[in-house]
Amino acid sequence: MLRPYLIPALLLAAGPGALGAQTDYYARVGVVGASTLVRDVLGTEISVRQSIAPMVTAGAAMAISPEYRAGIEATLASGGFDAEQNGGETALGTIRTASVLLGLDGPIWRSVRWRAGLGGILYWPSEDRGIFLQGGPVRFLAGGGADWRRPVMSSWDLMVSARYDFHRFTTDELERRGFSQAQGVSRVSLSVGLARGTR
Amino acid sequence: MMAISRRLTFGAAVTALACGDIAAPVRGDLYEWRLEAPSIPGPGLDTLSFHWDRNDLPVRVWVEDTDDLPGHVARALDVWESVFLYREFEGTLVSDSTTADVIVLRGAAGPKLRMKRLHSALAPECAGATDLDIDVANTELRLPIRVFIDPRSLPDDPGIESCLALTTIHEMGHALGIFAHSPDPEDIMFADPEVELPSARDRRTAEAVYHTPPTLQVVRP
Repeated sequence: MLRPYLIPALLLAAGPGALGAQTDYYARVGVVGASTLVRDVLGTEISVRQSIAPMVTAGAAMAISPEYRAGIEATLASGGFDAEQNGGETALGTIRTASVLLGLDGPIWRSVRWRAGLGGILYWPSEDRGIFLQGGPVRFLAGGGADWRRPVMSSWDLMVSARYDFHRFTTDELERRGFSQAQGVSRVSLSVGLARGTR
Repeated sequence: MMAISRRLTFGAAVTALACGDIAAPVRGDLYEWRLEAPSIPGPGLDTLSFHWDRNDLPVRVWVEDTDDLPGHVARALDVWESVFLYREFEGTLVSDSTTADVIVLRGAAGPKLRMKRLHSALAPECAGATDLDIDVANTELRLPIRVFIDPRSLPDDPGIESCLALTTIHEMGHALGIFAHSPDPEDIMFADPEVELPSARDRRTAEAVYHTPPTLQVVRP
């Protein structure tokens, strides 16, 4: 279960040496917010939501043409989640998520670049109970966003990023209890960090 | 036409992917969980329901330390906690009986005072009972709830452990608010339970208990 945490470390370690001078690598910290995970009706409506969570992102990208790069980006987030019913909230514990996106980026204007990718997200609850009684799911993820960079040192850039991603959420326990389909979950994140590599 | 058809199909697929929401199941097929008690003043019957308020959680349970009763009760609490999706119920074992919300004792239930008694598990190996101290106006549940687990055979008799396990889960089901018995022997809350774990119907009933306004309020001594 520690493997998701190793991905960013491996990317950073591999960045300068193995991938060479054409590789751009970066790390950022920020916050991520997500839409409702589960909607249920027990007497009245219940919504399960994640709180805004701190996150850390690391990634690397390699030039595939003068303007475009292909890359991988891994993000870890950890925050609480709660159930809301009739205006009251019940804390349900902590969820960690690990997501990986493989994608492309390209120029928009000056130091701003777009990014889009596909990948997966792993939910890793602090306790196997409630909606996660049979563990956390792994779901497909699609996302995109924009990066802005500004040189701050000879080889380092300040990097500010906004991301949006989307996946469909359900768990084995919800399916066992007769929940059908899956909940569309949107996540938005803002982060800031440092990037090193090609400009 | 083919191109338009492909685009429409693609559009429909994208819309379905992006817009569909999770659909909760309809929780039908429950059994009556409420306790019927004579109305004071009569005539008629009051239907009494109860669940632990979120502010009362975790419910504090004191257990007599004999016949592995603490182990059975701890497992029963885990089993009932796992029935719920949204942490509606939580219990914990405590060492001070004077602060307990629920007291679990070994042996047959003593003389009934003005309490309501729910008899259960009339197997040869063991029996159980849960006493509820409800006031005459049928509005207050005075704590603690008293649960009795009575091993009626020797500790090494075959069947005693499983009887104690399922009887403890059954009695803790009463203590969490299921104040009646299921008519179906496939449910753990059947009067003389045979199954080892709560069924889907027990689960749906427990969910209904915790999402129905209670008529009884707890009163601590």
